[in-house]
Amino acid sequence: MPDKQPSAIARVSVPALPAAFNFAAAPPLAIYVHIPWCVRKCPYCDFNSYARPQLSVPESAYAEQLIVDLERELANTGDRPIMSVFIGGGTPSLFSPCALGQLLAHIRNRVNLTPDCEITLEANPGTVEARCLSAFRDIGVTRLSLGVQSFDDPQLRQIQRIHNAAEARVAAEAAIRAGFQSVNVDLMYGLPGQSAGTALRDVSIAVDVGATHISHYQLTIEPGTPFWRRRPLLPDEDAIADMQGQCEAQLLAAGFRHYETSAYGQDGHTCRHNLNYWCFGDYLGLGAGAHGKLTDVRTQTVTRTVKHSNPRRYLTSTKADKLTAVHRHLDPQEVTSEFMINALRLVEGFPVSLFERRTGLPVTVIEGVCKDAQARGLIESSGPQIRPTALGRRFLNDLLMLFV
Amino acid sequence: MQHIRNFSIIAHIDHGKSTLADRFIEICGALTAREMAEQVLDSMDLERERGITIKAQSVTLSYRSRGGETYQLNLIDTPGHVDFSYEVSRSLAACEGALLVVDAAQGVEAQSLANCYIALEQGLEVIPVLNKIDLPNAEPDRTAAEIEDLIGLEARDAVRVSAKTGAGVADLLEILIQRIPAPTGSAAAPLQALIVDSWFDNYVGVVSLVRVVNGEIKVGQRIQVMSTGRSHIVDRVGISVPKPQDLARLTAGEVGYVIAGIKDVDGAPVGDTITDARRLASSSLPGFKASKPQVYAGLFPTDSKDFQALREALAKLRLNDSALHFEPEASSALGFGFRCGFLGLLHMEIVQERLEREYALTPITTAPSVVYEALSTDGKVSYVANPAQLPPSNQLVELREPIVLADILVPERYVGSVMTLCVEKRGVQKQLQYFARQVSLRYELPLSEVVWDFFDRLKSVSRGYASLDYHFVRYQRADLVKLDTLINGECVDALSTIVHRDKSHLVGREVTSSLRAIIPRQMFDIAIQAAIGSQIVARQTVKALRKNVTAKCYGGDVTRKRKLLEKQKAGKKRMKRLGKIEIPQEAFHAVLKVGKDQ
Repeated sequence: MPDKQPSAIARVSVPALPAAFNFAAAPPLAIYVHIPWCVRKCPYCDFNSYARPQLSVPESAYAEQLIVDLERELANTGDRPIMSVFIGGGTPSLFSPCALGQLLAHIRNRVNLTPDCEITLEANPGTVEARCLSAFRDIGVTRLSLGVQSFDDPQLRQIQRIHNAAEARVAAEAAIRAGFQSVNVDLMYGLPGQSAGTALRDVSIAVDVGATHISHYQLTIEPGTPFWRRRPLLPDEDAIADMQGQCEAQLLAAGFRHYETSAYGQDGHTCRHNLNYWCFGDYLGLGAGAHGKLTDVRTQTVTRTVKHSNPRRYLTSTKADKLTAVHRHLDPQEVTSEFMINALRLVEGFPVSLFERRTGLPVTVIEGVCKDAQARGLIESSGPQIRPTALGRRFLNDLLMLFV
Repeated sequence: MQHIRNFSIIAHIDHGKSTLADRFIEICGALTAREMAEQVLDSMDLERERGITIKAQSVTLSYRSRGGETYQLNLIDTPGHVDFSYEVSRSLAACEGALLVVDAAQGVEAQSLANCYIALEQGLEVIPVLNKIDLPNAEPDRTAAEIEDLIGLEARDAVRVSAKTGAGVADLLEILIQRIPAPTGSAAAPLQALIVDSWFDNYVGVVSLVRVVNGEIKVGQRIQVMSTGRSHIVDRVGISVPKPQDLARLTAGEVGYVIAGIKDVDGAPVGDTITDARRLASSSLPGFKASKPQVYAGLFPTDSKDFQALREALAKLRLNDSALHFEPEASSALGFGFRCGFLGLLHMEIVQERLEREYALTPITTAPSVVYEALSTDGKVSYVANPAQLPPSNQLVELREPIVLADILVPERYVGSVMTLCVEKRGVQKQLQYFARQVSLRYELPLSEVVWDFFDRLKSVSRGYASLDYHFVRYQRADLVKLDTLINGECVDALSTIVHRDKSHLVGREVTSSLRAIIPRQMFDIAIQAAIGSQIVARQTVKALRKNVTAKCYGGDVTRKRKLLEKQKAGKKRMKRLGKIEIPQEAFHAVLKVGKDQ
């Protein structure tokens, strides 16, 4: 047979997973900061957050502990530059610009931020006013992510958000005016009683107010949430699929690029922080319940850490090394599946070389499964790039299941 | 030996056999009250849960009679379901007598009748016992008359007891020692011991329940299993009281267990004779008639890796369940597995449950089938236990199905509905006779209709009062067709079934719609068709799922997403993949469910 152009998916039998990694260089590094409080806990939310009135949030004590946490983490990272900082929650905008400003100043002081470093703050409408939005911009936040979820009052009441449609719109417009480089609006679809029409209206309002990025999530009912115990009546699966398809088409028509399962961005406005997760980069997790992932080239290990999720426990730990609840090394199998779980969310997939750099493993370890996935029409490869097909994107869980 | 009594209790389910055994144990003081769990004799978990006895068990009791003498009473339990009637003869072979226990409120039922005949044929002394005389609706006189009418056994003086309250039980024990003869045999003769039951214990290997007929069996003795010719050294012998109690020896007339370091599951077949390796007996004891399976089904490991484990588990189960037959089978849909023969559907369910509980195996079971006789154009007759192996229709002259003669006893007011059921099941009436309170009906029925759900239906149309016993009579030509199930155009051999032509369209419609409900929506449309040859008789479609993607972003917590996917994948693994399609295990029972929900 004549030689064809080498394909990313060659006909090679599956070799045994190597026992060890071979990392040549460490991947990019980001920082995630978790603020675990909200004014009210939403009935669908299973993130690590606790309801607390804004005035009683212990912001200065928590900010100090975050710094202790950071110092401990920096002992392992040497002088690796930071390409993104993401302050998420909970509702980080419950913290004053002053407290967050001191934290960011400390970070800047202690690490090298790359020149184009993205600094994202999550905020919820109803907790931010125009005045404090500019203050957040002034302390260096480049990207604001607004947890709008819907611009429809009945929908917002159904999912028990603290804001109404008008406040959501005012907050979004104020965020645009405040002059952040990027503004993201989080929207949810598949809400109780939602029609395709209301879902489309949410999208068009988000586009109209000037969001540069829209995260479009499906409501999922998670164990341990009030919605799990008392399940609301959701649209049926087919209706939700229609809703998703129509919203996607509308976003594309409005000039947004669909670059990840739930993420749409205008040119130059993709989320660098999330792309780092999806490209299997490293990140430090600071704050209660924060997750971190670190590749160590010297010891050739990949470590996952989770901080204590209970804020009181996190706050009262006197020694920095007591902040961590979970600290474990991943084995090659886990690294492989976690890479695929992330990278296959990307509409464009990933180049084979990224797999090898990020996992420290030869691409041969996934070739057998990739071949199977290709035979099922779930992925395609062109040159060095492996990407999910349209079918693979719609049936991403079936695709990912091949790799776990 | 004069003070030994070996006996069984013949009774229908719910007629109080286990409760009566419990009273005996209590009176003889074998267990303290604290140890006395309800119905100690049924020891398998499964038996307790289902409240029926499946396997023979024994208990040795020490009874001090009113005359001041001490007797050794060996009670050998018998199964009480129509599927297991053959096993009864095995237990009875170890006895000199039997108690026929009849519920005085319900009267004699068909299966006790059949078992009682076995006991009489084997020359046992049968003592009729009227139980539940404490119930307000008990009619001991009419029941006694019924026993005389139906069995021809003198029952006017039948012992009247209430196993529940204990009334009359002490008298029954006295009558028992007077009427049941002591065993005969010689302790000095060469050893002959009948293996009544054997089971596999993970710690000690094969344990056998034996009846010593002649000679004695003792610890350290070299014994020989007569059919295999292999010899073993006896490690332990003893009796069940009902907790195991080790002894130095068992002598002629006694019933107890023997452990001889036999690790091979085929090492001590039920019905075989054990003798002394240094002093061989001249002949084996007459064993038991081998039981013939009535229904066959395929058992396939869900994960092909488990094939060997399944083989070993079946071999171990077969050790004390000689009615279980199996041989390797290959299916294009399910891969390698076993075609297994069972006494009936209950037996099949029990084997499935035992595989799951005792061996942690959950094989896929295909629809059960009886054995058909197929006459080919070349004049050959073949027996087909697997619809997939039926000769092609152009080579088939005729198909014959097994016909059974069924005896049904039912109170008069339910006769009409039982007759309607028998007609629906293609039955032909042979006899109808009125007795004291019951009507005896005799029908010829196709076995396939009987093993399906006949027993359950019979119980439900008679509010539980009808009873059934049946036996094979002959093969008979019938207008039968093979009904195939096609999934996306591919015939799934494991879903094929043989049905009567008149019912084939109905069954086809029911199978396809039940499959449609069972098979989850997937990435593609799934067409489910029922076909006879090339003719499609029913069709259903499982519409494709539109998407399966978790849009939610887990941020840094990828491990959680990974675990979630692992869990989903484990769920998928329990399904069987046919081409691109995943089929849940229940789908292979769809044929079985037909008609059950009506």
